[in-house]
Amino acid sequence: MRTTRTAERSQVTEPGDGNGDGNGDGNSDGNSDGNSDGDGGTKAGAPRRGKRDDRRAAWLFLIPAITGFVIFFGYPAVRGFWYSLTDYNLLNDPAFVGADNYAKLVHDPQFWHSLGVTAYYVVINIGSQLLLGLLLAALMHRLTRSVALRAMLLLPWLVPNVTVALLWIWLLDADLGFVNHLLKALGFGTIGFFVSPDWAMPTIGLVNTWAYTGYTALLLYAGMLQIPPHLYESAALDGAGELRMFRSITLPILRPVLALVLVVSLIGSFQIFDTVAVAAGGSGATSAIRVIYYFIYQQAFQYFHMGYASAAALVLALVLGVLTFVQLRLLRASRSDLA
Amino acid sequence: MITTKRAGTALLSLTLATMLAACGSSGGTESQDGKVTLDYWLWDDQQQASYQACADAFQKANPNITVKITQTAWAQYWQNLTTQLAAGQAPDVWTDHGSYYPQFVGSGQILDLQPFVTRDKVDLNQYQAGLADLWVKDGKRYGLPKDWDTVALVYNSTMLKEQKLKAAEMAELTWNPTDGGTLQQAIAKLTVDENGRNGLDPAFDKTKVKVYGFLPEWGDGSQGQNGWGDLAVANGWTYLDKNPWGTRYKYDDPKLAQTIDWYKRLIDKGYAPKFDKQSTLGRDAVLGAGKGAMTFAGSWTINTFLGPDAEQKFALAPMPLGPAGTRKTAINGLSDAIFAGTEHKEEAWKWVKFLASADCQDIVAGNAVVFPAVKTASDKAAAAHRAEGRDVSVYVDATKEQGGTFLLPITEHGNEVSQIVQDAIQQIVLGQVGAAEGLKKANDQVNALFT
Amino acid sequence: MPRIGKISAWATVAVALVLTLFPFYWMVRTALTPAAELYADSGALFPQHPTLVNFLRILGLTSQEEARAAGGSGARIDFARYLLNSVVYSGLIAILQTFFCAMAGYAFARLRFPGRDFVFGVMIAALMVPPIFTLLPNFVLVKNFDLVNTFAGMVAPTILMTPFAVFFLRQFFLSIPRDVEEAARLDGNGAWGVFWRIVLPMSRGPLITIGLTTTVWAWKDYLWPLLVGREEETRVLTVALGVFLQQSPNTRPDWTGLMAGSTLSVLPVLLLLIFLGRRLVQSLNFSGIK
Repeated sequence: MRTTRTAERSQVTEPGDGNGDGNGDGNSDGNSDGNSDGDGGTKAGAPRRGKRDDRRAAWLFLIPAITGFVIFFGYPAVRGFWYSLTDYNLLNDPAFVGADNYAKLVHDPQFWHSLGVTAYYVVINIGSQLLLGLLLAALMHRLTRSVALRAMLLLPWLVPNVTVALLWIWLLDADLGFVNHLLKALGFGTIGFFVSPDWAMPTIGLVNTWAYTGYTALLLYAGMLQIPPHLYESAALDGAGELRMFRSITLPILRPVLALVLVVSLIGSFQIFDTVAVAAGGSGATSAIRVIYYFIYQQAFQYFHMGYASAAALVLALVLGVLTFVQLRLLRASRSDLA
Repeated sequence: MITTKRAGTALLSLTLATMLAACGSSGGTESQDGKVTLDYWLWDDQQQASYQACADAFQKANPNITVKITQTAWAQYWQNLTTQLAAGQAPDVWTDHGSYYPQFVGSGQILDLQPFVTRDKVDLNQYQAGLADLWVKDGKRYGLPKDWDTVALVYNSTMLKEQKLKAAEMAELTWNPTDGGTLQQAIAKLTVDENGRNGLDPAFDKTKVKVYGFLPEWGDGSQGQNGWGDLAVANGWTYLDKNPWGTRYKYDDPKLAQTIDWYKRLIDKGYAPKFDKQSTLGRDAVLGAGKGAMTFAGSWTINTFLGPDAEQKFALAPMPLGPAGTRKTAINGLSDAIFAGTEHKEEAWKWVKFLASADCQDIVAGNAVVFPAVKTASDKAAAAHRAEGRDVSVYVDATKEQGGTFLLPITEHGNEVSQIVQDAIQQIVLGQVGAAEGLKKANDQVNALFT
Repeated sequence: MPRIGKISAWATVAVALVLTLFPFYWMVRTALTPAAELYADSGALFPQHPTLVNFLRILGLTSQEEARAAGGSGARIDFARYLLNSVVYSGLIAILQTFFCAMAGYAFARLRFPGRDFVFGVMIAALMVPPIFTLLPNFVLVKNFDLVNTFAGMVAPTILMTPFAVFFLRQFFLSIPRDVEEAARLDGNGAWGVFWRIVLPMSRGPLITIGLTTTVWAWKDYLWPLLVGREEETRVLTVALGVFLQQSPNTRPDWTGLMAGSTLSVLPVLLLLIFLGRRLVQSLNFSGIK
């Protein structure tokens, strides 16, 4: 799996300039290269171990990224925190209210409900997506390595979530949808997939499983490619069947990659919004599918509770931060496992 | 090297340009030659043509003003509007609704029209009684009335005949929350299973219903304008302590719970579709497909049911007589509001004044879609309907009956109240919670918004 | 491998393919059906009277009356424009973001300056901040700059950098052997010269990878363009589909039109897949997890 590989490499090279390449004086064409000849501070003819200083060039290289970072990541993060301490409603001047928003949030059943709904979605979505992805990856790994097959399986991932939602809302329509026609023809009753509160969230979870399984499968497949083929060959000589090889070779070696994919998709899954927003259609999302992103969106843009919404977003950020932290730990674990 | 340098510089300057553009402030839709474009929003696709006709007439009289009409379906209209307001990009003028406008007033988004009304001496007595005052708060006026609507029963007259029910009986239906009165009898008769047995037949199979006698509306916010609200009021319920601008809602009143319970029983008997099996299409589509026989329908849907495109033969009946012997229907008026942040206040006012004038409302009346707020235009609309061979008198008669109508609640937090109450009612009809308990909880949540 | 096992394995692949592709077939099939027939004929595998009218009307090529007659709401829609907007939106972001992030990634990987690790660390920390948290203030920011409903406002937050792209490209640049760069330096190139003439050409693979991923991401983007690009002039396909759903006649979604619009949103990625499929599939092995 390449990611982990790159990460490995970075481990090796990271400690900076230890391997001292710095033959500093790279910079005699300054005239043709005016805005970036930044090795200003170099001492010409310095010995091989000498420190080159690319200060000027570096900052010029970094202007766009740092500008973007400060304006659209750094500043908004600070701003968002400040909003969460105010009664800002998008139209007034924010007034400081201390931790009021957080206190209110803790007692808001809607907030907890939306977190619960989101967790329910994540379990359904990630569980099914990972299982199916694993199955497909194993098939691509052991049965056929056709690029065309992989490309076709990837198609749903390339399609906007909005389109995915529309497609399935139509396919699963309670009256005219193809699936309900099929159910009726097979003698079952019809199901109001998106209407029924019992079905709505599982439906959305599985729809997104449809959209992302191909992608997940390809990531896992990439991980499987790292497994030395001779392991399978010798196992086959010992008379092991495919299922057995999957259990005793593929799964154990893939475990770290699997863990990584799990956590990354988990975090992505927590941020579901598009599908719900489209499915909400009619009279707004029914409470069964009001996920946390939708809750925040509603508070901010329907009720104008920008301060409150910011507080909710910050709490979500903390939850995801913890998950990311776990992810990074696993990343480290996986690295050592594969190396 | 020179080319690369140039490319780099170009990219850099592009970024800078973006940033600079970001810092400069602009906006406004005015072009150099003094022409002004007004954005106007409405939600009803059926009315778009009428108001386009008004806009055409208006533009002819005011060649320097163009009116751009945008229609968004009701379900998304308010979400769009609030987002655009938040972005400072709201339309100059929009069609406004009683339960939504208070929050816009509260956040200072709607222009006070009183100074303009006083200056231009707009005659407020030309409107149907009560409509103009809906839009007044603390002496400020936040809209001019454009139309009104009431609610009636609409039924499939072919099915009625098949079940040997008479139109005259439909006009005298009674209702109470205990046994549903003759309304429930009619609903039962109109419900037919796949073997052709109606709902009163002991062998009626409620698991295989072909035609539902009644289609309830569950996406009806906090007001139940299309059904439960009207019946609950007929049952003696009132929404809140005072209207407009009350602060204590009464959703915990047993009279409302009884009404919702009655609906629930209809579903349990198989006379109305289960909430989780209901169509994703609207009620009118289900009626049009012949899978339902009757529902409550507002006067804005006249053309859907009685228009030339209707797929079935429908007729109208007044609301049933409640336990106290009176019919009750919500009367609701819409208005046109001006965005406080518009750069074209005078032009927007001109347009709103025109929309609220007999000139425009006569055009609207001629298209026979809704009943305009101006009384004379309202009569013209009724006449236009008659000319098309549609009997819509039940809607008009309701307004003439003493105490036959009630105004929908107008309070702060309409948006949030709407979601809380709608959630609760949906949970009740799903059987997740009892009516009394669910409504009590919702009422506490609602009233907590006002503390 | 036992025969039965093999057969069932192939059967699984076949089922997966059908499940993956059938919804797309159904989308196209619906788009080709006249709206009037949809209700009568919504279960049949083929439309009885295939028609292109749904495509024509969502591209704004029919009159309002014709559009209404074909099941639309008669609202003004112009999917050709939204398609173009989407291409501009995702193209602009993909190209410029990749370029700027390559610059930054290179600086972090190869150039030496005080505070490098600190600045890099701060940027990487931003990877952990979920987009929703910066979304709200960014919206306010763009609003205060009066950039709502402009392309500048839409692309501003992502055109200069995303932490992931910087991180990803830096990791790659770290893996390039230094000798080549050293040689170029000795030949008299400055940092820019090395970057532009040596490093970029050598990094075509990862650049395309990150560019493609960014394109796909921007193509699918919904919430941000929904907030800042709702108006006609800047409306991208995803937002247009959402708006279209809302503008359907009040109670009856215009499914034939919606499916025609959906088809248009799939078409470009389908082309991408056909022409760049191998690259895309391989780039996934490469980029790992975004």
